[in-house]
Amino acid sequence: MAGDFLSFKEKSSALNRTYPLVKMIWVLLIAVGLFLFKTPFSGGIMFVLILTLSMAGGKITPKEILRSAFVVFGLGFLLMVFHFFFDPGNVVWSWYFLTITDYGLIQGPIFFFRLSVIVLSSFLLIWTTDTRDLMTSFIKAGMPYRYAYTIFLAMRFLPLIQKEVDAVRSAHAIRGRATGSGPGHRFKLWQRYMFTILINGIRKAEITADALECRAFGYKKQRTSVKDVIFRKRDIVLPVITVIILVGLVYMEKSRWISLLGL
Amino acid sequence: MSDQQKNELMAVIAELKNVSFQFEEEGPQVLKNLSLSLERGSFNILVGPGGSGKSTMCHLFNGRIPHLFDGVLEGEIFIEGSSTSEVEMKDISCSVGSVFQDPESMFATLSVEDEIAFGPENLLFGREEILESVESLLKLTGIAAYRHNLVWNLSGGQIQKLGLAAVLAMKPRLIILDEPTANLDPSATRQVHELILKLKREGITILLVTRELDDFMASADNLLVLDKGTLIASGEPYSLLIKHGMLMEKLGIWLPETVEIGLALIRAGYRLKSIPITVDETLAVLEKLELCPEGRILNGPEKNYHQHSGSPLIRAEDVRFSYGKGVYAIKGISLDIHPGEMLAIVGRNGAGKSTMARLLIGLNKCTEGKLELFGKDSRRWKVPNLANHISLVFQNPEHQFLTDTVAEEIEYSLQAQGTYEKETLENERNRILKMLNLEEEKENHPFALSAGNKRRLGVATMLVGDPQVLIVDEPTYGQDREMTGTLMKLMKDIQSRGIAVVMISHDMRLVEEYADRVVVFSEGKKHFDGIPTDLFNKAEVLEGASLQPTLLFQLLKKLEEKKVICRGHIPGSEAFLQLLLNEGKAS
Repeated sequence: MAGDFLSFKEKSSALNRTYPLVKMIWVLLIAVGLFLFKTPFSGGIMFVLILTLSMAGGKITPKEILRSAFVVFGLGFLLMVFHFFFDPGNVVWSWYFLTITDYGLIQGPIFFFRLSVIVLSSFLLIWTTDTRDLMTSFIKAGMPYRYAYTIFLAMRFLPLIQKEVDAVRSAHAIRGRATGSGPGHRFKLWQRYMFTILINGIRKAEITADALECRAFGYKKQRTSVKDVIFRKRDIVLPVITVIILVGLVYMEKSRWISLLGL
Repeated sequence: MSDQQKNELMAVIAELKNVSFQFEEEGPQVLKNLSLSLERGSFNILVGPGGSGKSTMCHLFNGRIPHLFDGVLEGEIFIEGSSTSEVEMKDISCSVGSVFQDPESMFATLSVEDEIAFGPENLLFGREEILESVESLLKLTGIAAYRHNLVWNLSGGQIQKLGLAAVLAMKPRLIILDEPTANLDPSATRQVHELILKLKREGITILLVTRELDDFMASADNLLVLDKGTLIASGEPYSLLIKHGMLMEKLGIWLPETVEIGLALIRAGYRLKSIPITVDETLAVLEKLELCPEGRILNGPEKNYHQHSGSPLIRAEDVRFSYGKGVYAIKGISLDIHPGEMLAIVGRNGAGKSTMARLLIGLNKCTEGKLELFGKDSRRWKVPNLANHISLVFQNPEHQFLTDTVAEEIEYSLQAQGTYEKETLENERNRILKMLNLEEEKENHPFALSAGNKRRLGVATMLVGDPQVLIVDEPTYGQDREMTGTLMKLMKDIQSRGIAVVMISHDMRLVEEYADRVVVFSEGKKHFDGIPTDLFNKAEVLEGASLQPTLLFQLLKKLEEKKVICRGHIPGSEAFLQLLLNEGKAS
């Protein structure tokens, strides 16, 4: 299951040591940059750079990358093929009703790299950042800790809901043959399925909310943070280099690559 | 305030003064005019039948009432001299720590270490102090090896211990424990019990709600008995049991078998100064009353264990099963299940019991070894078709419910088995409702039923179509004695119809009393297959599987050491005493 692979990995990598909020900003910078690119060259270069950074800076093995990102790469590939065949432009190849356009050949890889790079950089954030540290860095940046914890608690609930879904799925499976087969019947079953999960989810959420109160959550405006995260000047290197690369790529696009592709 | 008043105030940590509570304005009173106090450093046990208001009473002490639950509250609740109505919830949490019935739901972080630190971080304890506290609590609770684990990867016992550690880290003066061992195997239960007794020795005030009194009753300073929201008795256990023990029995409260023997002796006309609680105390009482002189023979009746005839319904031969990564949950188990027998599968959490149940109902596919279900290879069965032959009642019956009323729930099962004709459907539905005493509930929503009725409905939906095997996961989990009796009677009725009943249970009293055969699983292997009495004689098997014989069995063993010979099957304390008294008269 992807969820098992897509989790924080405690390693002594440069990216693990980088300040969590800086990594978050870095992901946002990449996302913005990708939407500025007009040619597949920039996306391709970013893709290679992020892959290299994952392995060298995050000590993530190619196997771990593939396990987590396999589905996304697959979707990106399908998206690319879709653009090949359905984008307008001059037809460069055709077979019966299937046609590939020159514009599609450029747009396809752009979309593939856009999706893959955004997802891969987000995964890199997840692999190299303890959620708790991310939350602490949000609090240090001025976010009230009650709000920061809300994001954190949502993550805490995911495995509980997964457990619940598995239990309900098993319990329903052994109730015997389905008593109907139409879409209406399926919808009703699905509704029931969701009802059980929802009711038990709400109950658990209520208990958690009460438990937080019983454990002095919100006792004071501040709270002690046992595991502190410390910002160091060198943490800024990552976003700075990224901005330089992004600016460089945009410059290259405008000065050479766009005209090279006749766009 | 006089010095005496100050001293009294210091001695009392929590106090209820004429407290009544109802959840809705028009609804019934759940707690009625409660007045009691908990002394600082005392160990208090709260008992009562199901629905008596025990959990609601816990909410009074931890501030959930009046701060988190809506309702009508009368009277006053004081924690360390302050009225809970006048202080905020977060201030109460500085004095009172609560471990909920399901501690997993109260966890707020991802890792074990972080979870322990969470409370003290909120209370603004110093960083060094928290780190020291986390370190010592990890050691105290015995979970230091799991400090970096994710909280959802812990076992049931570890979750309970973490819940306790997380609360203790806030340095509460009073700890409320609501059924902390309800879902634990005997080994984990014992570990949690030892931990609670350790806390008592450290002088922390404890209020414990439990039905497992065997390990605790003798150590308690105060026993509180609640019935229908009223405190019917409170006081030191030995003298309280003399006065109110029989009433407690009548209310369906689980009492240790040793206490039951003491009460039965009083009923038989013996005068006891106090009720024995431990096995040694019971032995001393029996010796004093000269009921078990050396050489005495106790001839129990031979139990007619179910005799197997014909071929088994299920045959497992050297079955192995892995959930992946080469870690085997089942490591070569061979097991036959015969028609009409009551089979108990016991073992610690993670021993492979549930995996075996999933293999039998087809949710897991057997890939190694041979598993024959009703004369056909298990791999050739489809789950919905197999459901006609074998059923499983889940520990949480809510997971199985699919419709909006009790009646529809049974109809759904009937339709799933191929019954569609209106009249047959109605007749069959009514028959099952009647059989399980659910007629009055037929228009109610399954989720709105009481815990006991949900269990019954779970059984009802699985009995439809007359399966040949019924597997029940923890049939009496969370039930009081009366409901346990009702449910087990139901299991016996089902068994008498020729259906094989397989119960997965931690309750050794249940196993001893009802099972024809018991198999012990430990670390994915079968370590014992035989009658319950023989199992209790195998100390190495019990120890290996972290099981414990019943108190009665421990008593019989001690009697044997005193040259009293016990023969036959003595299923419970009542039977033991009848035998003791009747044979005494005869001799």
